[in-house]
Amino acid sequence: MIPTRFDYVAPTSVEDALSALAEAGDDAKIMAGGQSLLPVLRMRLNAPELVIDLGKIESLRGVRDDGDAIVIGAMTTHHEVLHDPLVNEHALLVARAVHDLADAQIRHRGTFGGALAHADPAGDLGAPVAALGADFVIAGSGGTRTVSADDFFVDIFETAIGEDEILTEVRIPKHTGWGAHYEKFVRIAHQWSIVGVAAAVKSDGSTISDARIGLTNMGSTPIRARGVEAGLAGAEATESGVQAACDRATEGTNPPSDLNGNADYRRHLAGVLTRRAVLKAAHV
Amino acid sequence: MDLTHRFTVPVGVDETWAHFNDIASVAECFPGAQVTSADGDSFAGSVKVKLGPIALVYNGTGTFVEKDENLHRFVVDAKGKDKRGNGTAGAKVTLTMASNAAAGTDVEVVTDLAITGKPAQFGRGVMQDVSDKLLGQFVACLEERLGGEAPAVPPADTEEAVTSEAAAVAELDATSEAPAAEVPPPAPAAAPPAAAPPPAAAPPPRKNDDALDLGAAVLPILAKTYWKQAVVALVVIVVLLVILF
Repeated sequence: MIPTRFDYVAPTSVEDALSALAEAGDDAKIMAGGQSLLPVLRMRLNAPELVIDLGKIESLRGVRDDGDAIVIGAMTTHHEVLHDPLVNEHALLVARAVHDLADAQIRHRGTFGGALAHADPAGDLGAPVAALGADFVIAGSGGTRTVSADDFFVDIFETAIGEDEILTEVRIPKHTGWGAHYEKFVRIAHQWSIVGVAAAVKSDGSTISDARIGLTNMGSTPIRARGVEAGLAGAEATESGVQAACDRATEGTNPPSDLNGNADYRRHLAGVLTRRAVLKAAHV
Repeated sequence: MDLTHRFTVPVGVDETWAHFNDIASVAECFPGAQVTSADGDSFAGSVKVKLGPIALVYNGTGTFVEKDENLHRFVVDAKGKDKRGNGTAGAKVTLTMASNAAAGTDVEVVTDLAITGKPAQFGRGVMQDVSDKLLGQFVACLEERLGGEAPAVPPADTEEAVTSEAAAVAELDATSEAPAAEVPPPAPAAAPPAAAPPPAAAPPPRKNDDALDLGAAVLPILAKTYWKQAVVALVVIVVLLVILF
């Protein structure tokens, strides 16, 4: 189907994008990679007067080193994130999750910031980013503000980004040398996670000293499995050694029921997938 | 398909009955809803729905086909259509009120639903979350109004609204014969972390008065892929539309 008629601007700076947004208000829609927005427009589930394309804002692209964190520009494509040396060195978990995200075409068009701002609870980026304790930098007319991952994800499809604001970059604390794995459970390879588990583990190969765990699609937002993290500290990196901690994966979750599985099924999956993810991350 | 939802309001059945017959007053409890006309037993209105990338306006009409003041029961035929013709929903809704032991009123809503619409792809069937949230908000508002004393929560006040919503969701007893609705209502403990950020980090209020109703948008979208969930949620939406119109 063809979208309804809309105006289109492609500003070259964040300031210009913000003023276009301020001018159009509720009638404007921000477009990043367009991999979620365009289908919605084509299905006529939204009909903005104006689409503001961020694709020409160079300052929003790329990954840079910022001391104890790496900073991923919101308009960096998934493909770029996947192959970025800084990401692979300091935030391997993000690269692992992006590897399993959608398909190659979408990874070339879709963007890191766009997917996070879309905030689909089944999206694959929320869990690893939340697990690594990322901060989100949001620009508005009054300047920029920084929001932690805990506060960024508000509800299903809902983030802390205001109507007049734009997500510009995501700061991810370095987890250099940590093992990582994203365990995604799907029926079809490129589909949305039925449940996904993001695990970053610091271990010497036999004992886990520290862990960061995030869950995909176990609630209306990505969930940081702090109970599992606490249980894993000091645990032996064996199946029996991590079992008790991984059983805590359902704490604080509120998984949905749908045609892919009911809530109990997802709770069961969360425990199993957490164990697999942790052990793979610990290179066992 | 028949679906059943129940909730309780803290006032007597006669007062509740009177309130539910005041269409415009009940409609105010639904953010984004407007009654455009009410004429005898028929009414028309619209609901603006926003959910993430989706924004739709639904126009609907309804007719009271039965009103029994003695039994405190009414039946409404309702039809809704997206403004751009993307989907339609029709429902026959039977609402029954009964006094309970705590001097309140139990309200039961049974919906017989028929929908058409476009499928779309989202990460999951979001219907349960959305319908819980919607119904929670609606009931919280109703309880306040029927409670009489408490001033209405300003819709723009995110934190307060969220608090009352969470409370309402906890009290909500939404049951359904559809398997998809067997999800337990969100535990109150689970709701706050997502819904209520610490004040210091709270963003400037951004939920405007018409941006809170998430439900109806999702219904037609997922109707084919996730029809069971869609049915459940659409019922809630239609129920709400009907109740408040």
